[in-house]
Order: sequence, then structure tokens, then C-alpha cells
Amino acid sequence: MALSTLGNHSVTTTAVERAILGKGSDSKGLIFKLLVGSSIAFALLVLVVLLFDVVTGAWPVLTGRGADFLSSDLRSRASESGVFQPLRGTFWIGVFVVVFSFPVGIGAAIYLEEYAGDNVFTRFIDLNIRNLAGVPSVVYGILGFSIFVKFFDGFFPNSVGQHAGKTTAAAGITLAVLALPIVIITASEAIRAVPQALREGGYGVGATKSQVVRTQVLPYAAPGILTGTLLSLARALGEAAPLILVGAVQDKLGGRTGFFDFAQFGEQFKALPITITNFAGRPGDDWQEVTAAAIVVLLVLVLMANTAAILLRNRFEKKRG
Amino acid sequence: MKHTTHARSNRSKVLLLALLFGLGVVVAACGGGGDGDGGGSSSGGEGSDLSGSINASGSSTVAPITIRAAELFEDESPDVAITVNGPGTGDGFVQFCSGETDISNASRAIKESEAAECEEAGITYTELKVAFDGIAIMTNPNNSLECVTFGDLYALLGPESEGFSDWSDGQALADELGGSNSFPSAPLEISAPGTESGTYDSFIEIVLEGIVEERLGEDASAAIRTDIPGIAEDNVIIQGITGSDTSLGWVGFAFADENRDTVKALQVDNGESGCTSPTVETIADGSYPVSRPLFVYVNNEKAAANPSLEAFIEFYLNDGYTSAVTEAFGDSGYVELPDDQLQEAKDAWANR
Amino acid sequence: MAEPISLETLSGSSRRHLNESAVKAVMAVAATVSLAISALIVFSLVREAWVFITEVEWSTVWGSSWAPRLGRYDLKTLVVGSLLVTIIAMAVSGPIGLGAAIYLSEYASVRVRKVLKPTLEILAGIPSVVLGFFALQWISPNVIQRLFDGTSQFNLAAAGLGVGILTIPLMSSIAEDALKAVPNSLREASAGLGARKVTTTIQVILPAAVSGLVAAFIVTVSRAIGETMVVFIAAGGGGNNAQFTLSPLDSGSTMTAAMAAQASGTDSVVGEALTFQSLFFVGLVLFVITLSLNIVADRFVRRVRTRY
Repeated sequence: MALSTLGNHSVTTTAVERAILGKGSDSKGLIFKLLVGSSIAFALLVLVVLLFDVVTGAWPVLTGRGADFLSSDLRSRASESGVFQPLRGTFWIGVFVVVFSFPVGIGAAIYLEEYAGDNVFTRFIDLNIRNLAGVPSVVYGILGFSIFVKFFDGFFPNSVGQHAGKTTAAAGITLAVLALPIVIITASEAIRAVPQALREGGYGVGATKSQVVRTQVLPYAAPGILTGTLLSLARALGEAAPLILVGAVQDKLGGRTGFFDFAQFGEQFKALPITITNFAGRPGDDWQEVTAAAIVVLLVLVLMANTAAILLRNRFEKKRG
Repeated sequence: MKHTTHARSNRSKVLLLALLFGLGVVVAACGGGGDGDGGGSSSGGEGSDLSGSINASGSSTVAPITIRAAELFEDESPDVAITVNGPGTGDGFVQFCSGETDISNASRAIKESEAAECEEAGITYTELKVAFDGIAIMTNPNNSLECVTFGDLYALLGPESEGFSDWSDGQALADELGGSNSFPSAPLEISAPGTESGTYDSFIEIVLEGIVEERLGEDASAAIRTDIPGIAEDNVIIQGITGSDTSLGWVGFAFADENRDTVKALQVDNGESGCTSPTVETIADGSYPVSRPLFVYVNNEKAAANPSLEAFIEFYLNDGYTSAVTEAFGDSGYVELPDDQLQEAKDAWANR
Repeated sequence: MAEPISLETLSGSSRRHLNESAVKAVMAVAATVSLAISALIVFSLVREAWVFITEVEWSTVWGSSWAPRLGRYDLKTLVVGSLLVTIIAMAVSGPIGLGAAIYLSEYASVRVRKVLKPTLEILAGIPSVVLGFFALQWISPNVIQRLFDGTSQFNLAAAGLGVGILTIPLMSSIAEDALKAVPNSLREASAGLGARKVTTTIQVILPAAVSGLVAAFIVTVSRAIGETMVVFIAAGGGGNNAQFTLSPLDSGSTMTAAMAAQASGTDSVVGEALTFQSLFFVGLVLFVITLSLNIVADRFVRRVRTRY
């Protein structure tokens, strides 16, 4: 095919020359590059404006109160209010996500990628998981409210009354369920990326399937799996909508349950995203400062999960070359 | 970006866990089991050996009073856990009359239908009037309007003004109702509480309902125009008022007062002494017409069974009262009852 | 593991087989948990929504406002609200996300990419309540109210822009995956024919990745429809009532924000008899819409996979 165009020397040569030397103004290319470059610049600019806005707003509280802000509860005065209870709630919700959705999600991914045959059932599960990942978070709130809260109503009998089920445990499980499909999808992708040769090497020395998975597939896929799971954790920590439905306390939560006291699983809870909404709804500049400070605390928590994921991925990509 | 190759994945995992738990430990260390409540006066005080839990819900307007009372009470009796939520007066009564809550905050008196629900569920309660609140009618400081009548408000916000998007749209109706203002020809940006709020109900009841009945009869389908946004957070309502030069809205007096630099609380014509600004004094003496009493309802059986609930209400009406009402928002708050009305509340509680 | 060697001695002890089946069974159970979750979601939505569907006066579902506590259930108010917010959001995150993806996949050097991609992911990690207040307090006064004088601070447009910013990272990340899935041989072939980079990108890479890009777009749409808090805070529907409007400069609500407003604080909702059930009805409608979008997106993803 190329032979027929051989005669037309001059055109091809100029084109190649221009491409190689970059002679002449490639204005179209420049504009395009500028266009796509400014897209990403815009996204970064928004991030900078946002972070700057929040951090400067929070600065007086963070520098002036520091640890006291982390250890106080909601009070009538902004200057005495803190985020102890919501931070505790969000932290443990995160633990629930890790404890429930990580093992189940990774197990499901292993099954789908390593064990399941390509049949109707598997494809159905696969489609189902992809759809679950796209279900709006507020719908998970309905699930949490109709199923988990009702379940815990019976589980934690409490003098308060019939709605004793609106607990940390119910919220934690709701968000674990929300994170599960994302965990499965990302873990599946990581497992799929494991070279077939590794598996074959394992079988070659007489290992069983589970041994191959344990000794070859999982170690190789681990960083990728962790990246995905941590990103899903970051998303779960920032969710507010499902917690509204599960019944997070918006105003004052009584009691002085300690940070690591397991009794809180059966008690009502607060969470950072909800508290931020509540703080922001109060009048006066001092409340806006406290709101910004609470946002910083949530961002730090979320960014810790994100940063860990990014660090892991960078190593993972480096290893692959 | 050059590194030597260690056994990385394990190490990263450990690092990460350390990171996460590190944060937890830091917080726990500062928290010290959550005793950071500032007060530090946990020893002494007659109620210090009380323990138990109290659950309050209802009006988000009244919630700050109960929260202030609760935090002062908890400073003295640290083992009592008081939870206060503020979904709205009506929702609060649904919970209260199903026995879910011990205390129901209300920015209006209980309705007959709600009282019937309580009775059906066998719940007896005591009604305690605890404070006064004015509803501030607000606009932007750049708006030249100073004083309005109920008729003016009806002309702008009543059911007959559905669809009005300009102040001047309401002029004819306002004139018909005897108003003397001349409204500007400017966009009417309404910023008001949502239907779940007692402040929404109270505004209708105090300002609009009378005129609605007069003009449209008792079975009017609505007492307020329905094409206005409903905003859940009081502070967000304030933002809506400051966000447009020709805004109009209403919110509890304390919130407007906190923001007096950025919003203008309109005077309201009370029909007798003329235009009146909302202040602590005019609300207390009733000369500011858009004011209302705030209530707390207490479940009698639960009070009998729960010593900490009984002690809390005692505290609420006595030692904690002034601070709870006047410092509900830290430095500002609501209007205290005159002594005789406060005594009535105390008597009602004693004779429940 | 069907290896051709079929000597029985090689198959090992029966305990080993038992162990294998146990592992497989446990993993299979984990995989079917997702089915149980779907079933529970559908169950919890349908149970209450059915009460609404069978008992509601249907004339109240077609009116001019959504105010469930007053017995007004105009569904189109919410659907149109969702649509307006989504269109505005996609007008932001569609092109910007695609641009960012093209830059990351085709232009950025390895080193630049290593810095930019994580930064974008930080944007993805910003909780939606934060963006909600950003939309209300910054975007609305500084963008919308400047451009359109006399607009209320609460408007669907500001909420839409907020949701748009929120979904940029999602759009860019899936679109980048789609672009990267285009084999390098196509780029090399195109360059070999003398095409400039911009020509290669626009005329070769983008068409080759089109089904992946469409899928990215649909997934982002589905996320934008499902976003709750930004609209709840910035659009003025937080008080559980909204008026039907076709103008994004008006205040309004979406399906998601209406659900959050309905449930805010309590499930003991007062109002007309079906007020509480309307929450589930809206949830069901939302679920069906996003489900359809996801199934369509999945088709496109499958196509891209089979091609390369």
C-alpha cells in the first residue's frame, strides 16, 4: 500500500520533515495543548482556592486551640466547641469499612478473577457489582435506615426508646456496604494485572490454587488492591448523605464515651461531614472558623487515606517499570 | 525518584496502619476519655452522683436553650448523658408522642391532633413555657424599606402572591390592604425557613393566617405562597438575605440579631403604637407583634422513673435558667420570661 | 488448572482437595454478598414505595411544586432539577475532565503525571459537604450572581457548577483509562505517517477510545445525578420544599437533595399520610434512573474491552 505513494516524494518529505523538525508554527497543536493543559490547570486552581479558603479560615482555631479543638464536644459557644465525638464517629466508621468491606471485597474479587468460570452467573454478579458502584449514596442511606438500623433496634435495647438502632455500628455497616463494590472492582483490576506467568510458575511446582493465590497473586496485587481499597475508604469517610438517613446526631450527643470504648458501637453517633453542615448553619464568624477547622480535620483524615493510596500506587507502578 | 528495592508492600502496609492509628492515639490522648468539656467543675454540686440518659428532640429554634441548659447541667453531673436533636417542632412531637423522647422542644404550643396522639399512646406530659422569641423580618441593609405591616407581608408572601418575582408585583395588593409603602421595582428574592420548621409555621400563624381567613375563607388551600425556597439552616437564610439587595425573609430574632451588621431587621407595625423594631424589650413586653412563646414539653412518666430527668428540669427552670435562655448562642440568646410567668412554669412542673 | 498430566499420584491428598473447595466456597460467598445487598436495596425501596404508589392521589404527583409535608409530590420538579444540575455539571466536568485526561495520557511527561494525577485525586477526596459550602459561599456570589444580576444566592446553577467540580476527577480518571487502553501501535503508526500530535490525538486516539469515553461520560452523569449534599446546601431545597422551574438560575431541589431534606434529623416525619413514603418513591425512581445509565455505560465498557 505504501509503495503506491512512493512517487509523491515532496509531500511526504515535507510532512515528515515538519513533524521531525517542528518547523513552521503548529498553531493548532499549540492551541490544543493549551486547551487540555488549562483543563487540568483549572482543576488544580479550584483545589488551591478551596484549600486556601478553608485553611485560612481555620487558621485561628487550629493555631489557637489545637488539641483542645480535637478533644472538646459541641458547646453553645463556638470557642469551646470541638470535634471529639464526630471525629470518633468518623474514625470508627472508617474502621468498620476496613474490617467489613476489605476482606469481603477482596475475597469476592479473588473469586471472580481466579475461581469463577465465565458463565451467566458470574457475568450477572459482575454486572451487579458494577451497578452497585453506581448507586447514589443516598440510596445506601435508605438501605441503612430500613435494614441495618431496624436490625440494631432489636440488637441494642435501650431505655431511650424504639429507635435505639441509629448507632455507630449501623452507620459503619452502611458505609462498609457502600464501599464494598468499589473495593471489589479495584481489587479485581489489580488481580487481573498479575501476569499469568506467575500463576503458572506456582502450578508448575505443584501448588494448589489457593496456595498460588496466597503466595503469588496476592503479594503481587497487594499494592494495587490497597490503593483501591484506601480510595474507597477516603470516599466513605467524606459521605454525609447516607448518614443523614441513618440518623447521625446533628446537635448535641450526650455521654462521654472514650475514643476507644467499644460501647459506642451500640450508641448514637456523630460524624464529621454532618457536624460540618451543622456548624456551618450557625450564625457568626466564630462558628465559620470552627466550621473551617472541622473541614480541615476531615480533609486531613481523608487525605491520609488518599496519600497512603497514592504512595502505594507510585511504588506499584515503579515496580512494573 | 530513585530508591533501592526493599520488600515494599509489607512495609507500606505497616506504615499506613501506624499512620491511621497514630491519629487515633493522638486524639484519644488529648480526649482523655472525652473529659474535655471545659467545665472542669465535675466535683461538688448536689447532682454529681446522678447518672442516666436524657433524650430531647423537637424545634431547632428551642434546641439551643435546651443544649445550653444541658451542657451546664452536665458540667455538674458528668455522668448524665443528654442528647438533643432539632429536626423541627412537628417531627419532635411525633417522636415525643411515641415515647421515643423524654423532652420535646417546641416553638409553638402542641396542636390538638398531636395532643390526641400522645393521649392515645398513654403519654402524659407537662407543658413549660420557657422563653420568648421574636421572628425578625429581614431584608438587605441596602434596601430602603424600613417598616412593614402584616398586609404588606401578605401582599408579598401570602397565597395570592404566588408567582410574584418583583416587589412591585405586590403593590396593588398591599395598597388594597391599607399599606403605605411603595415597593421598589426590583427582584423579590425570598429566603425563608422550610416546611419542617416551627419558624415557618409561626410566621404563617402570626402574620398571614388572619388575613388569609378574612380574604379566602377558612378552607383556603394554602396560607402562604408555595413557590419560595425552603432553607434548612438559619445561617444559610441569613446568607440569602445578604446575597441580594432586595431580599426578603424571616428567621428567629436571635439569629438576625447576631447578624445585625449584615442584615436589616424591618420594623413591623403593631397597629397601636406603630412601627416597632424587634428588640429584647419589645419582644418581652409584646409590643413587637411577630413574637411567640417557646415551650418545652416533658414526659411525666419518664420524669418519675428517671431521677436525672427530674433533676435536669429543676435545673433548667432554676439555676440554669438565665444562662440557658440568654446565652443560648454563647453571647446572645432569647428573651427571658417575666418573673410571674417563670413562676407559673415552676408551679406547673411542681404540680404535674 | 486443567493441566494435561492426569496421573492420580499428582493430585495429592483428599484433604488438600477439601481445603481447596472450602477456600473456593468462602470466596464465592463473599462474591454473592453483593447480590444480597442489591436484593436488600430493592426490597427496602420497593416495600415503602409500593405503599406510596398504590395509595397516592396521582393528581398530586403532577403539579407545580415538591412539598411533601404539604402533600404535594410533583415528581417532575425534582427530575427536572436533577436534570438541570446534571447538565450544568457535565458542561463543566465533561470537557475539563476529558481535557485533563488527554493531557495526562498524551502530553504529560512521566514526572509531571506523577505529580498531577495524585493532586487530582486529592480533589476527588474532598468531601461533598465542603464543595456544597464552596458552591454557596464562593461560586454563587462570585460567578453566578456576577454573571446574572439579580439572581438569588440559592440557585441550581451554582449547585451544578459545584457538582461539576466534584466530578472532574471521576471523569478524568475513567477517560484517562480509556485513552491509555488505546494501543501504542496506533500512536506510532499515526506518527509514522507524519501526523502531528494534535492530529493523532483528535483523529486517531479519541475515535479509537470513543466507547470508553462515552462510558466515562455516562458514569459521571450517574454520579452527578446521585450527588446529594452540594445541591442540598447550595440550591435552596434543604427545607424540604421546592417549586417547579426550568431555569437553572432559580432555586430548586433534586431527587437526592429532596431525600436528604426529607430525612434530615428524623424518620418521624409529620405531614400528610404519605409524606414519609414519598422519600422511598423518589429513591426508587432515582435508583431506576441510575441503574439504567450504569447498564448502558457497562455496554460501552464491554465494547472497548473486546476491541483491544
